[in-house]
Amino acid sequence: MTPEVPAAALPSRKFRFTVISLIGAIAVLCLLFAFLGMTPASFGVDFRFVLDVVQQMLPPHLPLLWNQKSILLSLVDTLAMAFLGTVAGGALALLLAFFAATNTAPHRLVRLLARTLLVANRSVPQLIVVLVLLIAVGIGPFAGLLTLIFGSIGMYGKFFADTIEQADKGTLESVESVGGTRLQTIRFAVLPQVMPSFVANLFYAFDYNLRAAIPLGVFGGGGIGFELAFANGLLHYKDVLAYTILIVVMISGMERISDWVRRGILTQPMATR
Amino acid sequence: MGTEIPLLEWRQGRAAHRRRRAVAALLLVVLTLLSAWRCNVDFHSFATGIGKGVSLLELFFPPEWSGVSEMLQPIAVTTVIALIATLLGMCLSLPCALAASSNIAPRPLRLAMRSFIALERGLPEIVQMLLLVAIFGLGVIPGLIALSFSSIGMLAKLLADAIEEIEPHMLEAVEATGATRSQVIRYAVIPQILPALLANGLFRFEFNVRAGVILGAVGAGGIGFIMMTAMNSMNYQRACMATLLTLVLVFVSERVSDSFRARILDGGALR
Repeated sequence: MTPEVPAAALPSRKFRFTVISLIGAIAVLCLLFAFLGMTPASFGVDFRFVLDVVQQMLPPHLPLLWNQKSILLSLVDTLAMAFLGTVAGGALALLLAFFAATNTAPHRLVRLLARTLLVANRSVPQLIVVLVLLIAVGIGPFAGLLTLIFGSIGMYGKFFADTIEQADKGTLESVESVGGTRLQTIRFAVLPQVMPSFVANLFYAFDYNLRAAIPLGVFGGGGIGFELAFANGLLHYKDVLAYTILIVVMISGMERISDWVRRGILTQPMATR
Repeated sequence: MGTEIPLLEWRQGRAAHRRRRAVAALLLVVLTLLSAWRCNVDFHSFATGIGKGVSLLELFFPPEWSGVSEMLQPIAVTTVIALIATLLGMCLSLPCALAASSNIAPRPLRLAMRSFIALERGLPEIVQMLLLVAIFGLGVIPGLIALSFSSIGMLAKLLADAIEEIEPHMLEAVEATGATRSQVIRYAVIPQILPALLANGLFRFEFNVRAGVILGAVGAGGIGFIMMTAMNSMNYQRACMATLLTLVLVFVSERVSDSFRARILDGGALR
């Protein structure tokens, strides 16, 4: 008896499927472009104009970086926003996560409330948050910082809650069985289990927040983004290019550093207390 | 039985551990205080800010329900921009990833592609957007290009890492049958990274929707632009309606991307 080959696995069928899905994808892409009212011609740019802009940008006005102290300070501001946003947002996210996880929540209603809060928090667009906060606390890095904290809570609260729910039940029960209170259970059974994942994710959150801090600055949240938008508004393209270089160097550099520190922290042996 | 540690060694290890923890805690506190100072953290302005924020949010309600019909088009524009940027990013990131992985590409090409990817990843969308607006003028195109570029950067990095993790035996097995390099890519590489490409692409779509709202505010059009102009003209009820619609869009895109991703990672969709 010969084994039956399912019809869908025949090479000819597979090839036909590939071709059809490829054509379908291209057709969808064309329709989408048509929806935006774009034709291939709209990508054609006046090349003289591009050259003109590039000429205005080159060479980047790099002396600005050491002549004007405020630039380096604004860089520090952006880093400070990202750092504090990650630390404070992460701490608040962890706190909320304990209320949102099934195995640590004090009551079902509290859990439901915390979960709803986290979902709502994730979906609110960052743009409206920063625009409201700019009016509430004024233009400056503080508004940007609060936006980052808000965003970090939403982004990581749900994730942490899921991590806590996956914690090993046996450990929790063993602490409870020797008479541990809820807080003691969290301290000695849950925290040691979730801490490595928590710390690792905070480093990713820092990288994310550093990138997110730049648009917030453009809207008035302070830091290097603010300087960039200011120079752009004045059409000082040489300065804009200098800031751009600075931003790229900062983001790539911080990514390396946070990668390195994260590895150092997480591979370090956890000695007994 | 566990391994036995001499008491003295254990004490020294514990002391060193405590010292490391103390240094880390001190560093954290110093950095936090320094950041708080640079960010002008001020609990007084925070307290008054809550009052101001609440009274501002009161102006948001009731939302301007009549604006829904005219906002559907901008919402669709934001969605479509995110969709196209994701599709373009997925298609273009594949060759970039192949050129950036050490087991496929020759060294000079790989180094060039890796630094190109690093540049794309280090350049936030908003900076690309500002530079592109100077070239193309306001409109959908700069937003589309900025989002596609950073999608390529992120997807190509993840894919290149996935390609480098492919077992060498797999490539050798296909090579041993006399396959050319392109056949090796077709039969040994692509089937292995396709799930990663789809899953990360879906994740990126969700990200592109969020980023598209922000880029809209600096000139890419769509719902972000509506939100920004409504806020600037103090038409808060209109801004509230735009926010509600965006909330729905973000929520739905997250759900859709989550459910598809779960199905792909289960392996059901690809067989």
